[in-house]
Amino acid sequence: MNMGNAQHSTFHVQSPGCGLRAVGWLLLLTPLWLPAQTPPQLPPGGLMQLQMMQPAVDVSSPVTATAQFDPPVVHVGETTFYRVSLDATESSVQWPDELSTPAELKFGPKRSGQITQMQPGKFRPLASFVYAVESPVEGRFTITNFSVEVMGARVQIPAASLNVVAKSASAPAARRLALEISATNLFLGQPFHARVILPASSGNQVEALREIEFSGDGLMTDKTALQQFIEPVNLQGQLRNAFVAEMKVTPIAAGPLKFSAQGFSAGREFMAPISMRGQVSLAGGLSQYTLLVSDPVEILVRPLPVDGELPGFTGAIGKFFRDQPRLSTNRLHVGEPLQLRLGFHGEGDLARFVPPTAPRSRDWQVIADPPPATSFTLIPLTDETQATPAIPFSYFDPGSAKYVDLTIPPQPVTVVGEGLPVELPVLKEEEKSAAPVKLSTLAPTPGKTVRSLTPLQLRGWFAAVELAPVIGFFALWQWDRRRRYLEAHPEIVRRAQARRALRREKQQLQQAAAAGDAPAFVQHAARAMSIAVAPHFPANPRALVSGDVLAHLTDAGQAGPAAVTVKQIFAAADAQYAVTPQTQPDLLTLRPGVEAVLQALEEKL
Amino acid sequence: MSLRACLLLAVLVCRLSPVCAGTEDAFARGLEFSRAGQFPEAAAAFEKSATAQPAAGTLVNLGLAEWQRGHAGAAILAWEQARWIDPFEPRAEANLRFARQLAQVDTPQLKWFEAVSAWLPPNAWVWLAGTTLWLAVGLMVLPGILRRPKAGWQPWLAALAFGIFLFSLTANLGVLSRTQTGFVLRKNAPLRLTPTRDGEVISSVAAGEPARRLRTRGNYVFIRTLGSAGWLEQSDFGPLCPR
Repeated sequence: MNMGNAQHSTFHVQSPGCGLRAVGWLLLLTPLWLPAQTPPQLPPGGLMQLQMMQPAVDVSSPVTATAQFDPPVVHVGETTFYRVSLDATESSVQWPDELSTPAELKFGPKRSGQITQMQPGKFRPLASFVYAVESPVEGRFTITNFSVEVMGARVQIPAASLNVVAKSASAPAARRLALEISATNLFLGQPFHARVILPASSGNQVEALREIEFSGDGLMTDKTALQQFIEPVNLQGQLRNAFVAEMKVTPIAAGPLKFSAQGFSAGREFMAPISMRGQVSLAGGLSQYTLLVSDPVEILVRPLPVDGELPGFTGAIGKFFRDQPRLSTNRLHVGEPLQLRLGFHGEGDLARFVPPTAPRSRDWQVIADPPPATSFTLIPLTDETQATPAIPFSYFDPGSAKYVDLTIPPQPVTVVGEGLPVELPVLKEEEKSAAPVKLSTLAPTPGKTVRSLTPLQLRGWFAAVELAPVIGFFALWQWDRRRRYLEAHPEIVRRAQARRALRREKQQLQQAAAAGDAPAFVQHAARAMSIAVAPHFPANPRALVSGDVLAHLTDAGQAGPAAVTVKQIFAAADAQYAVTPQTQPDLLTLRPGVEAVLQALEEKL
Repeated sequence: MSLRACLLLAVLVCRLSPVCAGTEDAFARGLEFSRAGQFPEAAAAFEKSATAQPAAGTLVNLGLAEWQRGHAGAAILAWEQARWIDPFEPRAEANLRFARQLAQVDTPQLKWFEAVSAWLPPNAWVWLAGTTLWLAVGLMVLPGILRRPKAGWQPWLAALAFGIFLFSLTANLGVLSRTQTGFVLRKNAPLRLTPTRDGEVISSVAAGEPARRLRTRGNYVFIRTLGSAGWLEQSDFGPLCPR
């Protein structure tokens, strides 16, 4: 049994080698016998029709055209409208730049529009071209037929006639739209409301208005905020039911802007929710699509002032208010996200409100949530911060013509940092490094202190201190030099010493003279004269006599009163040492002579 | 002591005592906060104390508080400043080795004269240089001026003093050079190509990484680390020697 199983098993092991190879070849050759797949044959646009369940848009039927004056009879000087309508798209019509019109008629600028007509079982495009026409004279005027090119084919525009009658004759007024705007003096970007009014036709029948547009550049219309009403409206003093479409318009160009409204009357085709007031009768039957226009209105758009623009201005114009910012938490860790929710409301265009941009902060990563959300996700990057960053924001208030600050102030938070480990895990013996395994303990005392971490080398006063030894050594050097000089010239020292001694003696001499002490006067005078001449010898002053002094007087002095004075002084000084007192004349009278002698001697010293 | 000297001493004591008292108060408060585990408050107290009067122990404690807060860069800077004041401070040295191993940041690569300057406190080198210079000059000049006979040891001492002066010159150069070093404070601080807020980020550097300040422009410093160079916001760079 076991052997049989073994043989069976051996057979199966060998056979798949050939069998599988054959199956593989068959699989590879299979595509050669398969027919090519053809795509399903569907009519053009059929797939879309299947999906949308919508009737087809008829663009293949022959194009027909109508032309008329509305109204065909008009008073002199009043406006009528020359309107041409074609069953084609506006872009396919090669409308001439100039029309061949009677010279008496004054044609306004061309206005055109397109609407998709709802016809039984199909849609059909309708393009209309409208001119406001006035005639200053009575008469019948005709615009002859002419042809325009539509999608490569010529289409005949039939002739149309206008009767201009005198004001006394009866003639209906032209049907037109009324345009009301909420403001005429605006700032760039300041939205305003525009009401396009279609008054009820004769019989008080109100029709819808579709494809409303504003002519003129520099305006942006927000059709998402379209509101429709049927309500009584005061038109030229009369209260009439009317279809009103109200929308928000934003001027995007500065300067005076002139614009008008246009739209197709469309029977009961109200394309959006509508609110009605009062008794209204709606038109029945198929809609008659007529392109109507309004008289132009003019607004003045001023640019936003550059001066006084505040940080965080994102283009918000109006009057806005901000709710108190709300934080998802006021205590968090570093790296943990935080939600800052802001609420704005006000009188401006909140649909186009651009929320504040995320500020850049060193301590926070700030991420603005995608609009229209006005919240922020903030992630603290450090635990040193104690408040969220201020988020600058401002708006322009057209009422006061000033920017108003609406900055989101910092909100206090507590950010907790993640501590670092203070101890390393115990490693195996062979993996241990020289580094310690844990931090040190606290230092119990401040330890070694310095006045500043700035080294002395960089402090100005230290350079001054370093100059002190320099000055000291310089002074020493100068002193040594002087000393050596004086040693080489001792007479300078003697003269200096003599001058100092002479000054002392003269002072004592004057004191003796003032005191009337004649002996002292004589002694000091003799000593002063000796001192004054001693350096010339050189000799000790005590060793000198009157002859030595006389020798240093000038020749004139030696023969004059000076010599007499010197002799008398020395004689009187010597007489004080005589055994018997001698009668002395009044020696104090010699004082002027003594001073003159000393003056002369001092000059030579 | 004369009356004038006593008055001068009294004035000095009166002037310095409030500063010292304030510093000690802040240090004591820092210790209390640290022991209570209130590390942000402890760091603030130690920083106040260190600002009023830099001290090695205060900076060691400041580094410990910053480390416990998770500020590796500020901690390493504080310990390096503690070693700047006192190169023999054992706690700062040990903590630096611990922190660098854990944070995987490099030690500052000092040139040889900078390494020499780290042997003593910076101010010691400048005093040493001044003293040895004038000692050498005095020994050579004063005996002649004072007409005293020169002893045999005087030239030898003058030569030794002049040699120490020359050696200390290199250390002083090292001190000046080390004043340009600092440490990155912020974790993964971006290094920018240009000194502008929107400058291209070349790389990021770890907190505690040593760097050398090469120049300053506006709110940015151009630094060179071991692996890269670029402009870093000034607030992300902690100089060893703030001016």
